[in-house]
Amino acid sequence: MARYLRLLLLAVLVLAASCESAVFSPVSESHRSAALELFSLADGSYGRTALVQYSIACLLCIFPDTDHYSTLLAKTIPLNICGLTLLAISLCCTISSLEETYEALKTFKVLGIEKKHDITTSSCASVAHTLKSTSSASKDYFQALRVNSILKCDLNSEAFRGTESKLKGSLNGANSLIDFYYSIGGLVLLKEQTPEVDVHLGDADRIFRSIKALGQSDGRWRLNSNNPESSNNAAGIALEALAGVISLATPQIDNSLITTLKNDLLKLFDGIERYDDGTYYFDEKHVGALGHQSPISASASVVRGITAVAAVTSENLNLPGDKILGLAKFFLGVGIPGSAQDLYHQIDALSCLENIRQVESTPLILSLPATVISVTKKDQLKVRVSTVLGSPARTLSVRLMQIFVSGSKDASVIDQKLKFNAVSGMHVLETLPKNIDVGSYVFSFEIIFDNPEHKKAYVTGGRTRVLVDITGVIKIGNAEIVILDGDHGSIETQKKLTLPGGNDVALSANHLQKLRLSFDLTTPSGNAFNPHQAFLKLRHESEVDHIFLDFLGLVEKFFYLSGRYDIQLTVGDSDMENSFLQPLGYVELDLPDAPEKAARPPPQPVDPYSRYGPKPEIAHIFRDPEKRPAKELSLVFLGLVLIPFFGFLAGLVQLRANLKNFPKATVPSTFALLFHLGIAAVLALYALFWLKDQSQLCLTHFPCTCILLLTFLFGPIYHTEGTRLIGNVLDVCWAQDTISSCIHFVQVKIYVKGPILILRVSGTGSCLKRAQFAIWFYRVRV
Amino acid sequence: MAAPKFAFLLLNLISILPLLVSSFSVDRPTDRRILVLLDDLSLKSSHSLFFSSLKSRGFDLDFKLADDPAIAVKRYGQYMYDGLILLSPSTERFGGSLDVEGVLDFVDSGHDLIVAADANASDLIRNIAAECGVDFDEDPSAVVVDHSSYAVSETEGDHTLIAADDFIQSDVILGNKKIEAPVLFKGIGHSLNPANSMVLKALSASPSSYSTNPSSKLSSQPPSLYGTAISLVSVVQARNAARIMISGSLDMFSNRLFRAGVQKSGSLNKYEKSGNEQFITELSKWIFHERGHLKAVNLRHNKVGESEEPSMYRINDDLEFSVEIFEWSGSSWVPHVSKDVQVQFYMMSPYVLKTLSTNGKGLYHTSFKVPDVYGVFQFKVEYQKLGYTSLSLSKQIPVRPFKHNEYERFITTAFPYYGASFSMMAGFFIFSGVYLYNK
Repeated sequence: MARYLRLLLLAVLVLAASCESAVFSPVSESHRSAALELFSLADGSYGRTALVQYSIACLLCIFPDTDHYSTLLAKTIPLNICGLTLLAISLCCTISSLEETYEALKTFKVLGIEKKHDITTSSCASVAHTLKSTSSASKDYFQALRVNSILKCDLNSEAFRGTESKLKGSLNGANSLIDFYYSIGGLVLLKEQTPEVDVHLGDADRIFRSIKALGQSDGRWRLNSNNPESSNNAAGIALEALAGVISLATPQIDNSLITTLKNDLLKLFDGIERYDDGTYYFDEKHVGALGHQSPISASASVVRGITAVAAVTSENLNLPGDKILGLAKFFLGVGIPGSAQDLYHQIDALSCLENIRQVESTPLILSLPATVISVTKKDQLKVRVSTVLGSPARTLSVRLMQIFVSGSKDASVIDQKLKFNAVSGMHVLETLPKNIDVGSYVFSFEIIFDNPEHKKAYVTGGRTRVLVDITGVIKIGNAEIVILDGDHGSIETQKKLTLPGGNDVALSANHLQKLRLSFDLTTPSGNAFNPHQAFLKLRHESEVDHIFLDFLGLVEKFFYLSGRYDIQLTVGDSDMENSFLQPLGYVELDLPDAPEKAARPPPQPVDPYSRYGPKPEIAHIFRDPEKRPAKELSLVFLGLVLIPFFGFLAGLVQLRANLKNFPKATVPSTFALLFHLGIAAVLALYALFWLKDQSQLCLTHFPCTCILLLTFLFGPIYHTEGTRLIGNVLDVCWAQDTISSCIHFVQVKIYVKGPILILRVSGTGSCLKRAQFAIWFYRVRV
Repeated sequence: MAAPKFAFLLLNLISILPLLVSSFSVDRPTDRRILVLLDDLSLKSSHSLFFSSLKSRGFDLDFKLADDPAIAVKRYGQYMYDGLILLSPSTERFGGSLDVEGVLDFVDSGHDLIVAADANASDLIRNIAAECGVDFDEDPSAVVVDHSSYAVSETEGDHTLIAADDFIQSDVILGNKKIEAPVLFKGIGHSLNPANSMVLKALSASPSSYSTNPSSKLSSQPPSLYGTAISLVSVVQARNAARIMISGSLDMFSNRLFRAGVQKSGSLNKYEKSGNEQFITELSKWIFHERGHLKAVNLRHNKVGESEEPSMYRINDDLEFSVEIFEWSGSSWVPHVSKDVQVQFYMMSPYVLKTLSTNGKGLYHTSFKVPDVYGVFQFKVEYQKLGYTSLSLSKQIPVRPFKHNEYERFITTAFPYYGASFSMMAGFFIFSGVYLYNK
């Protein structure tokens, strides 16, 4: 946990600076805006309860006397129900809301935000209600009194007196640290708020010892005697409670007890954790009754405890100054917490640290509004010295003691006093020392008090090291791009470049030549400057990148891609104000063909936008219709084809052909007629088949008629060949699927009846009857 | 009387209960329950704006320390969360049963993931990212440095706080509102695996950026990552619609950078507030399926002039095709309006590929002629659009050739043949009569 926090904090807060030279800024405007934002968010619940409390307040205004109020409530039933509901809601809400209200009010007060007015009425009503209620726990009284300590509500002494007796009662019955804390805390607040109530503890020594009994040897405390786990958070609570006991004790508490308390305090400081950047904090491993406590809340609790103890003892606690300063830096290093509670802990702890009543312990924070100083713009190095909450310190001066080049131990010793500017409240270094060029430096400052007396009142933590980046505009000169012949180094092409500026050179080279790009960089003070980033990029048309840092050994790995390469130069440094990236033009490279084993260019990532989007449409290309001769041509050929027929007819006429031999007798003439009608029927069937549209002419007509004709002409087929014929007809019918348009075969039965094999097809459809009729004829003798 | 009523009420409640707890469904694609793994619980406070934005959108966040032994994403074969946020860059091992495979299985089953790394990124986080197609710079001390587009700051002079404004061009991923202010980024860069076609750069570095250790000199070797190849934030949409966001910066989620003002170097525009909040919020809306989820219904086709769907088409038929596409808006399905939905008439390869026209109310339709090739075809809608879940619909339909009686008849060209046949038949009939009965 601690390790993670350390990593995180290091990463988030001090990544920019080396560990020794972290800059902590005091509480600023951004804390104020965050407080307004966070606590108005928290007011979501607290605003709602305020509304409920407001209605209670109205009720209380109508019935200021509580007894009277209840008798009236008993009489008016609807009002009673409403009142009770409101009471119930307010009771469950006040517990958390009073605590939140206090946290909001306290944060606003410390930050100097005047936002009380809109909640004063409702909160005071809630306070009054809690104090008058008989069922409230000592925690509620404590929270109510805490809110009252800020709001200074107009409460009558009656309420205070009742509260005192209740708090004392709970103090006598207390056995856990929390009970002691709330009861004693409540009594202390009572004493501060009303002179009328005489709050004092007769048996202070006993209470002191029973709280002390929960303490551990390492300075931490347990929450109650049953719980073996001790925590720093509990230590803070215990210290506050003990400070309360000391302040309430009449007669004064035994001095030896205070001495042991002092020792406990020092032991507690032995267990403090330290980050590499010089911040100290109290870690919390214990997860207990109060849930998970973050280091912020644990450290804040301890700080509150120390402040309370320091306030009530006249003795010097000998608090370690560097650790107090480290704690202050820890709280400042958190930045702006995202939760209301953390913000309260941070701000409250910082205000405690600022107001700690121990002579040598107010931490002073040396901060730099800007650590990036431009020599070109002639920025001045400004240093602000203030307390943690941002209020200016008393007369003092800041001296610049040493300057280190970042990353090395070499230091130039300078002892220069910074000039104090009374208007801005800053200490200003008007001119940078002569030997400072652009680059990163660690400046070491020391705070010197004009009045040696003040030195005792503050902790400054000795020298403060700050990482300062000195930046400037770097002058670029003598820029040129040259193509050299490989062996002799003779110049073939030479082009001057303006950097930074528009360039468009067009070069061509082959693999035996060398490309040289050169330019000088000089700092404002005339020294040569070596930038951190100096890339020359050659980009092939196929978007394969090559990047070179060393301009003299060039052109080896182009994957043998000849063609046009765009040249791009990037020069940059964190201290160079005019870092640039610009195209220089292009070079046409003529490279040899790739040997077989040459490395292929690496695959380039696909452009995400090309993967998506519509594809080109595809339309089917239909087959061309067959080419046909002209209609006239076909008709001419038809005429030609018909000529023989007409010739035949003409021939018959010529030969005087007749039908005079046609039989005259009835029977032969009938058979002759039938025979010719039969032929005519077959021919007519062909003609019909050709003429009729087949969608209308059910094809079954054709086999049916055929079969009819065949049976009529040749009689029933008794041979197996005949059945094959029928089978073929059916096959054709099925295959062409024409039958199905008018008949659906449901069943095909073949069965033997006596000597006859009967093929019976049944189904439905318009042609069914005819089909059945046709098929009935096919009785095949076995 | 009251008791049965109560029991009835209870029964009702019990029957509603599964509806309440069930989340990620086909009808409501937005995630509900999200597990947040942190290195340190103080992140809850330092990154509270991000979390409160998620909470205010109705997500149920479950915060756990990354090494909490009670971490489990699955119970009795069911996933307990719809999304996972890993804000634990330095965690070497997760507590409980979760490991790299566990995280990948979680994604493979269609759940969403947000991973944030920073300069202390552990192998665990790097492995998870690598499995998603994102390779962080292998040099553990390297961070992204940009001397040309850094955020101007009075206190940070090493140009590692980058003001990036090269966003992915997609309204569905980053919302309709243009992100005006640059996004502040401080962390490590990564490159995309070219073999992975699913991963996209959501926020790219500028051409002048490079990944290096700012406190040491560059070696003669060029840095492994430089220029626009560096991706600062990448997103992945898997084939199963699981979405992943990988950021090289944990700080970019923090309240500090959410609230910080930003001025990009070399630019005179000074913004009161960085684009981080908008960028992260909009991106998280996409990641958790508040946007960009499509569904297609009512895929229909019929012959022109008919309304019934046939079981088969004949070659050269004219057909009409329509499909309805809706888009999830976070609370309801609204018509998806786009001009690039296409249908394919497909057999081994597309024979017809046509862009559908839309009526703006979700209905897409077109009509075309069936190709003169018969076989078993498919109507295919393969709709892949940047940021949207992909649609892949197909419907099989056979295409038959002409029946024998569907061909053209009485072809003029064939008249000589017809004439020959019928004149021959007529001749035969006359001849048979004349031959038999001539005297």
